[in-house]
Amino acid sequence: MKYLSVILACAVFAAPLAAESMVTAILKSIEDQMKMKTDIKANVTLTQQKAEQGTKLIEMVYFRRDSDDSFLIVMQSPENEKGNGYLRVGENFWMYRKNTRTFQHINRDESIGGSDAKGDDFEQRNLTELYAPALDAGGKEIVSEEMLGKVPVSRLEIKAIVNDVDYPRKIYWVRRDNNLILKEESYALSGTLMQTVYFVKYTVIDGRYVAVKHIYIDEFEKGNKTIVDISNIQTNKLDNSLFTKAYLENLSK
Amino acid sequence: MNNYLISISIRNLARQKRRNFFLGLAIAIGMMILVISNAFTNGISDVMFNRIMRWVTGHVTISFNEKGNIRREVCRDRERMISAIMESDGETVSEIDESIGTFAKAIGNGSADNIILVAVDLSKSVDAKKLKETEESFKMVEGSFYDLKRTDIENAAILSEEKARYLNVRKNDVIRLRFRNIYGQDQAARLTVTGIMKNSNIFMQPVVFSEMSNVRHVMGFRPWETGNINVVLKNPKKDAVALADRIHEKLTPGRAIIYGTLAYAGNSTPVAVTGYRSDNESLAKLAGILEPSGNSEIKKDGAFISAKLAKRMGINSGSRVLVNYPNKFEEKSSVFPIKITGTFNGDINDNLIIVNEADFYNAYYDNLPRVSPENTAPAFSLAETHPLSALLATEWILLKRTANTDELKKKYQDMGKQKWKATLVDVRTMYESASDILKLEGVLNIITFSAVLVLFFIILIGVINTLRMTIKERTREIGTIRAIGMQKSDVRAIFILESFFLTLISCLAGIALAFITMRLLSLVHFEMQDNPMGMLLIQNHLHFMPSSGGIVFNLLLILLMAVATAYFPARRAAGLSPANALRHYE
Repeated sequence: MKYLSVILACAVFAAPLAAESMVTAILKSIEDQMKMKTDIKANVTLTQQKAEQGTKLIEMVYFRRDSDDSFLIVMQSPENEKGNGYLRVGENFWMYRKNTRTFQHINRDESIGGSDAKGDDFEQRNLTELYAPALDAGGKEIVSEEMLGKVPVSRLEIKAIVNDVDYPRKIYWVRRDNNLILKEESYALSGTLMQTVYFVKYTVIDGRYVAVKHIYIDEFEKGNKTIVDISNIQTNKLDNSLFTKAYLENLSK
Repeated sequence: MNNYLISISIRNLARQKRRNFFLGLAIAIGMMILVISNAFTNGISDVMFNRIMRWVTGHVTISFNEKGNIRREVCRDRERMISAIMESDGETVSEIDESIGTFAKAIGNGSADNIILVAVDLSKSVDAKKLKETEESFKMVEGSFYDLKRTDIENAAILSEEKARYLNVRKNDVIRLRFRNIYGQDQAARLTVTGIMKNSNIFMQPVVFSEMSNVRHVMGFRPWETGNINVVLKNPKKDAVALADRIHEKLTPGRAIIYGTLAYAGNSTPVAVTGYRSDNESLAKLAGILEPSGNSEIKKDGAFISAKLAKRMGINSGSRVLVNYPNKFEEKSSVFPIKITGTFNGDINDNLIIVNEADFYNAYYDNLPRVSPENTAPAFSLAETHPLSALLATEWILLKRTANTDELKKKYQDMGKQKWKATLVDVRTMYESASDILKLEGVLNIITFSAVLVLFFIILIGVINTLRMTIKERTREIGTIRAIGMQKSDVRAIFILESFFLTLISCLAGIALAFITMRLLSLVHFEMQDNPMGMLLIQNHLHFMPSSGGIVFNLLLILLMAVATAYFPARRAAGLSPANALRHYE
């Protein structure tokens, strides 16, 4: 799941776009808003519902600074994860374990706090560098106008232009009036629908729309669902000492 | 040695039947324990190496971790690797297997579980021995192993009885899988159950087999790509390490260069593109060598073009250029878009672009470039001694050979700490990757041997005691034979031979007993499917593997101990004065 890269930065312009490539223009507009120019601090709550395991609540505090590709995640719950952390500075990515007070190098695709979210979900990535409009047999962009409930939307299909993405094909339902993403479907290379995301609530931070509540529905394993809530978003400049190992260690004392 | 000494010593043995029988029985039991324990530890080693490791890793493994990611095992040029193996010493190689598989989440009928999807190549011809081994390892409850070849159904698969029960699936049911393909993308596939197997090894329970071509397809491998390569040898103990060393030497990487055509603003020219290492230390060195023009700085995400080439093509810092290059394996070209961040003045090459290794390897591995395309730029080569040489991209990074599991673990820990962009290639034998098993075998042998040595020490005290009693009983007899002319050395030899023959006969009996006991024990059926120790069984039976070398060594050692022990009482007997011996009364 591309949680926070989309979540925290998924604010879009209020004006609809008209360009030679409608899909590219919409993607560009989404991408422009994804690039947060300030540091970010937010509380993130993941409510994971799994068919055979019940509900699991995962709470974390998330700090991000894009100027040097840094982020820090401090786990708040569940109890066995409390105090653990994940620190990324440049290309280094460590997992901190409070009990042993040790740091361990991990990969970007490691799970965060036992959730379905992975390290690379918290990175900032440019949408137009990853995806381009999908074309039909006639070479035309696959885009149409529909109603999503009572909201008029554009339905657009995009395909990955690099391999380094979770899903090679996606379909977005984007509000026609302001280009807010309302729904996203992600497909595997085999064509199987793997995940649907509903962006159910946006808020305005520093003049931008930020999606603060989404629902991730696992289409492959029916019954699994993750609800992401983001609160207490702050865009003040973060102290340098936050993105250090010492900060995480001091939290354990 | 005179035959009469042998006759006398054997006759003397027979004179004390009961005493020698019990002494011999103790020696025989000791020898039997020694033979059985050695055969058992050899059996464990045989199962681990030849029936588990051999299937999982081969005798020699060449592993590939793209971008240093332990889960991204991709070799982009299968034929080149196989050629390197065959050129290293094809005569010793029995077979070369591609190791392709992945962890996956499987969904059956109403329940889900984790599995390991493993590709099996049924297109290869299989000899009778291997067929027997396969049938022993994977006993089919339903269907046949060769049903995996079926093409009338979607992705035929065989899974264990336990996994089938857990997923609530039966033959002809469909399992849905979710896993990461070789690019790290979320992928889904459907498998049709064509067989259910029963295996005694608990570690095989999560394994689901499917045909190689199916697994390759769903994992995203192209025809020229593969996963790790496992080499099975005819004589692994003799050849594995030497072959691994030779393969390692053969796999020394060359420089990674993309030769293609640079296109910019309607103009085009041949160009060579390579990558630069982007760790902080390398970046600092590069800045001194490349002498970037103006204010351009060598960064982790930079791309630098030769100043002369930039001038000729009208390229500036910030220009987006395209490099079109022919692919090695397909009759098509790829386009490598590069955003130029600066120019370099260093006198290196006039047709060169140097790109950060992250972007370079992404393009390079996506579609390997043809080595000698037409319309190529002048070949780019640097002397090994050139300061830039160590900072430029190589085809892959060859990891150092390691001697044992501890070194291997450390190598992988170090691998995780560094942010590699290239593919890491490692060559190892199963004796290194599983040296702990060899250690375990050695420790078990030492423990058993020590215990048996203690046992023999006690037994040999009995031998000494018996000899002393015998000497005392036969003191007058010693006096008589000495009086009629027998030499001291002959008297000594008689007693030593007595001990020698007693020990020899007992040991041979012990060996015979050991073989009978092993045969009987191997008939016992153990149901240990849920116990990890079950992996040490073959078809639910204990596996003993006696070694003739080990048996002969132990036999000789025990004989030597017996002779050494008997020497001192025998010397005492031989040293008796005939007159005093004849006067001896109990």
